[in-house]
Amino acid sequence: MALTTAALDAAHQGLKAAGIDFVSGLPDGWQRNLHERVEFDPDIRYVPVCNEGVGFSICAGAWLGGRKPALVMENSGLRVASEYIARISLGTGVPVTLVCSYRGDVGETEHWGIPHGIVAEPLLGALRIKYLVVRQVSELAPSIVRAKRTAEAQLHPTAVLVSGDCVWED
Amino acid sequence: MALDRFEWLGRLARRLPDDCLVMSTYIGAVSFEWANHTEEHHRTAHLGQMGDVIGMAVGLALALPHRRIVALDGDGSVLMELGQLVAMGEHRPDNLVVFVVDNGVYESIGWSGRGRRPTATAGRVDLAAVAAGCGVPHTADVADDEHLDAEIDLAFSRRVCSFVNVRTAPGRSHVRPRRTDGIEDKYRFVRYVERLENIWVTGVPPQDIALMEDRKS
Repeated sequence: MALTTAALDAAHQGLKAAGIDFVSGLPDGWQRNLHERVEFDPDIRYVPVCNEGVGFSICAGAWLGGRKPALVMENSGLRVASEYIARISLGTGVPVTLVCSYRGDVGETEHWGIPHGIVAEPLLGALRIKYLVVRQVSELAPSIVRAKRTAEAQLHPTAVLVSGDCVWED
Repeated sequence: MALDRFEWLGRLARRLPDDCLVMSTYIGAVSFEWANHTEEHHRTAHLGQMGDVIGMAVGLALALPHRRIVALDGDGSVLMELGQLVAMGEHRPDNLVVFVVDNGVYESIGWSGRGRRPTATAGRVDLAAVAAGCGVPHTADVADDEHLDAEIDLAFSRRVCSFVNVRTAPGRSHVRPRRTDGIEDKYRFVRYVERLENIWVTGVPPQDIALMEDRKS
């Protein structure tokens, strides 16, 4: 299971239309093909990491140097990154666009994904992160563009949670 | 033997090239003493906290590959997130040098009758060895003036991704705490970077505003 071909194209197009030029993150089952796509995009600096908290710190540093960063990860990575989101963004005001697989959303087939779905939205609320849940492929690219725009306006992260028809073809 | 923190930070500050940017801790003795030595110059980002200083420095170094970046961190902070060293060793920005104030204790929390609380570097953990194991090209573990001076020479005379662990004596800072918060520190640093690099970090760049006006008309 990964992003459908149409969703992969839409996510990539959304990142580029948003002006994202720096992507960090940890590949997961759903968005691994987006990582593969971004890695070979000459307009995007791709910085894979072994943990999403480090990825968030790297994105924050890149923003301070003038880049427009996104962190691509599973929603379980939100929990890992939350310490650094709180320290850096709640304390300092640094925008990073978060593009997260929404494991545990309605339709989930894997038991281990359920806890990720239970925690994700309350955690985003606790971190004061505005977010969009995207279940239609047609909404994916514009949602990434809008999320990045608002992150820059409020100088705080925003998130796009990717699920539904973007990953399941049932 | 261990070095005096205030003294060696001052030595590093005096030799810091004018065109280099610094990622430092946000609060604590390292930040306060570095700010004292540098008179709160705006090219230091006092924005790093426990576990994120090196990560932010890696991001800054990758964003500005032509610019030399120095990171100042403490042993407790590095230990909190060793994954930062993995990223540093994997991506190896050759414009980044990390100096770690390794005093073997959690100094900033204070202490009571039983003394300071030790960090793992007071035991068997060797941070320079960990960094080397993560693939950082140049690592050093220094504990004397001569060795430190040699590492500062190397840091500012060549481009090699480097991690320098400085064995430092514990001791409370005798300088005043900094008064600014993360928001003010961010704007000061960002505005400095914008002028230095002729870029826009916040807001919409002038060329994009012109583009939007064109689209409207």
